Amino acid sequence: MNITLGNYYPADSILHRLDPRVKLLAALTVMIVIFFLNSPLTLLLFALGLIAGIAASRVPFKLVLRSVRPVIFIATFAFLINIFMTPGTELWSLGPLTITQQGLLVGIKMALRLFFLIMTTTLLMTLTTTPLEMADAIESLLRPLEKIRFPSHELAMMMSIALRFVPTLADETARIMKAQSSRGADFDTGGLIKRAKGLVTVLVPLFVSAFKRAEELALAMESRCYRGGSGRTKLRELKLRPSDRWGGAVLILICAALLLIEYMVPLGWFGLA
Amino acid sequence: MTSQAAQLKYEPGQTIIEIEGLSFSYEPDQPEAPNALNGVDLEVKAGTHLAILGRNGSGKSTLARLIDALELPLSGRIRVDGIEAVDDETSYMVRRRCGLVFQNPDNQIIGTTVEEDVAFGPENLGIPNPELRDRVDTALAIVGLSEYAQRPPAQLSGGMKQKLAIAGIMAMQPRVLILDEATSMLDPFSRRDFMELVQKLNREEKLTVLNITHNMEEAMAADFVVVMHEGKILLRGRPEQIFAHAAEIIDAGLDVPAHAAIAHLLSKELNLPICPEEAASFTGAINTVTRLMCTAAEREDTANGPASPADPIVSGSAVFAGEIIVEVEDLSYTYNPNTPGATEALHEVNLQVRRGEVLGIMGHSGSGKSTLVQHLNGLIRPQTGSVRVLGFNTRLNKEIRELRRMVGLVFQYPEHQLFADSVFADIAYGPKRLGLSEAEVERRVYAAAEIVGFDPDILQRSPFELSGGQKRRAAMAGVIAMEPEVLILDEPAAGLDPAGREEILGYVRELAHKGRTIILVSHNMEDLARFADRLLVMKDGRSLFLGTTDEVFSRVDILAAAGLEKPRTAQFMEALAEEHPDWPIGTNAYSVEAAVRMIRQAGVPKPAERRSAVTKPQVER
Repeated sequence: MNITLGNYYPADSILHRLDPRVKLLAALTVMIVIFFLNSPLTLLLFALGLIAGIAASRVPFKLVLRSVRPVIFIATFAFLINIFMTPGTELWSLGPLTITQQGLLVGIKMALRLFFLIMTTTLLMTLTTTPLEMADAIESLLRPLEKIRFPSHELAMMMSIALRFVPTLADETARIMKAQSSRGADFDTGGLIKRAKGLVTVLVPLFVSAFKRAEELALAMESRCYRGGSGRTKLRELKLRPSDRWGGAVLILICAALLLIEYMVPLGWFGLA
Repeated sequence: MTSQAAQLKYEPGQTIIEIEGLSFSYEPDQPEAPNALNGVDLEVKAGTHLAILGRNGSGKSTLARLIDALELPLSGRIRVDGIEAVDDETSYMVRRRCGLVFQNPDNQIIGTTVEEDVAFGPENLGIPNPELRDRVDTALAIVGLSEYAQRPPAQLSGGMKQKLAIAGIMAMQPRVLILDEATSMLDPFSRRDFMELVQKLNREEKLTVLNITHNMEEAMAADFVVVMHEGKILLRGRPEQIFAHAAEIIDAGLDVPAHAAIAHLLSKELNLPICPEEAASFTGAINTVTRLMCTAAEREDTANGPASPADPIVSGSAVFAGEIIVEVEDLSYTYNPNTPGATEALHEVNLQVRRGEVLGIMGHSGSGKSTLVQHLNGLIRPQTGSVRVLGFNTRLNKEIRELRRMVGLVFQYPEHQLFADSVFADIAYGPKRLGLSEAEVERRVYAAAEIVGFDPDILQRSPFELSGGQKRRAAMAGVIAMEPEVLILDEPAAGLDPAGREEILGYVRELAHKGRTIILVSHNMEDLARFADRLLVMKDGRSLFLGTTDEVFSRVDILAAAGLEKPRTAQFMEALAEEHPDWPIGTNAYSVEAAVRMIRQAGVPKPAERRSAVTKPQVER
């Protein structure tokens, strides 16, 4: 079994080469900024920016679109709540349910924001960044916190080991489930309690083996002279190149411009009020 | 390599590991608990390739850990490269001079990519770039994994993972490489490949190698051998000196090379002395056997040679007339079909198994063996082609449950699936799922426990407090208790020491005698040859050959194509036959006992050879 975490899409593009720390910070900024965007114009501009970003990343458009799948339910829910619950000019009504013009607009904007949010963060953080780069970025960004004894190295090491063992444990789970199936275990039918009981036969061996692996891994790490983060060098040191600074600056400027348009520019200018 | 290595360079012959009166206990607070090591003395010269043999639990792994300063001695002392580990700092200094490769490839890889993993050690040593980068690239080139540098380790085969472990150690530029049963989870091909790498490092990088192993070939390839038993060193010397003590080694529950075992057994049966040093080498054993037969003939003064036992020799030519109960037709299977990662695991495989037969399936890792047997109890459904077992069609959902009671599948390392709080409950899980009565479940549990040689009191213990071999047996009992008509075993003896191996295979043999149909999957030629009536040779998802054991082992072309070797006993018999072209000796012997029987049945070697062979044997000791 081959599990690729987070659906990294291997390609060579500006976005792929961008320093993961820049991408991580940009994704966080976008997360905040997008909730301040309320006018159709800024949302449209955002969409255009997103499309340009996807084009620059060389990731197939379909893949980015697919990332919204998990939030479709929530988006639909938010959309429905908003169109029915917002007071305003009535468009259509049936019994107690009334759809208003304002509600429709708010609902659409709500759903769009959610989709944009997911698509942007997926593009920046998972499609163009490997989990390992992300772990490095988090370690590097948290390093200043070491002054207050925050274990940023340990945290990054834990993340990286977790990443390393996901495929191993997934294989192991599949193997144990097969072995128990051969002994008559049934994981597919029966009620919730019956299935939960069946899972015990998988979880106990899985935990036992995970502990054994942890013990052996600790020994292997010690044998290779691991003594925590102090005095350690790194093969891949994250280095901020000029292009990364430029990339970061561009992303911040885009966000700032969007906010500026949202709050400073009278919509009447574009006949969109 | 770099300047640091140059500073550490050693004159060959200088002592690198010095062990005096070493004792160690995992439970030092309990004086009555036996020590894991008890007064071990050992001196290893730099550049030596030392093999360490011993049963599981004899203290080999403990010794490895102490040398690598992962544990500190209870008493006695160890010096590695002149450094004695007494505290954190000296332990660290010892560890950077020793590299330890563990048994399980998966549990020693730390990096998320191959390159990251190699870098882990030197990163800990604080090696800065660009030297760090240089060390990683050099180490990957040495083990031949350069092209995989960016891959996640999960995509590597078992053999490649172990080479990766070596690369990670080489990047630290150590003086000593310790292998703790590092090849025991590899197939024969990867094992040979891995050991060639180790030999190369020993020769070219002047690395001192300590190889803990159960494999006799590896032991024969070493400069020195140490045999451990119950925490002590039982024997030490060059391989041919060690295997001269075949009797003692077998008593310690270990193997000796097939040629030595044959010579010793023949000498015992004929009640004639041999020169053990001579029998320890391959050619020496041929001379020894020849001389024994000639001497025996003179003594008994009969033209027919010594009386031959009446047992039939043939193990591999039984033809079964029972009904066909497993029928696989044109079976193909592809993992992840219609994706870029699609891999074809089986390609148009055909197979029939008759009731009461023992079928061996052999081939390398990735040859499709496991995929094939998982089809037989419906864990995998056929994509194309069909699988019929005992009249059930594995394509049909409703027949699968019924089928699984009839076909038992013991996975590789079955002890990893134990889960219950007592051995009894674990064994009873399967029978209970069959909906049997309480009394019947109990009967089956006791019956299965008896087959695997368990005392009833073990049944009440937790499976997690059993020894490795006992866990394996408990897990096997869990499948046996379902009383399946067809029992499939995937590498049932993998990772056990020779004595444990014989024991497990003994239970399999017992089940075969009871008329159970058995499918044995293995890459161990010796095991398969001794047990199977017929063999299926798999390669790259295809069935290369299906025939009786004799047929398979007479097809040199097939074995070569599949990268497999004849059993050692058969290799010895062939060499014997080649040495004496006129001696009517069979070569299809797959066990030491069968080989000795065949030699005795062949009578006396022809006079031409006889003259040269009748030099008086030197009696030793």
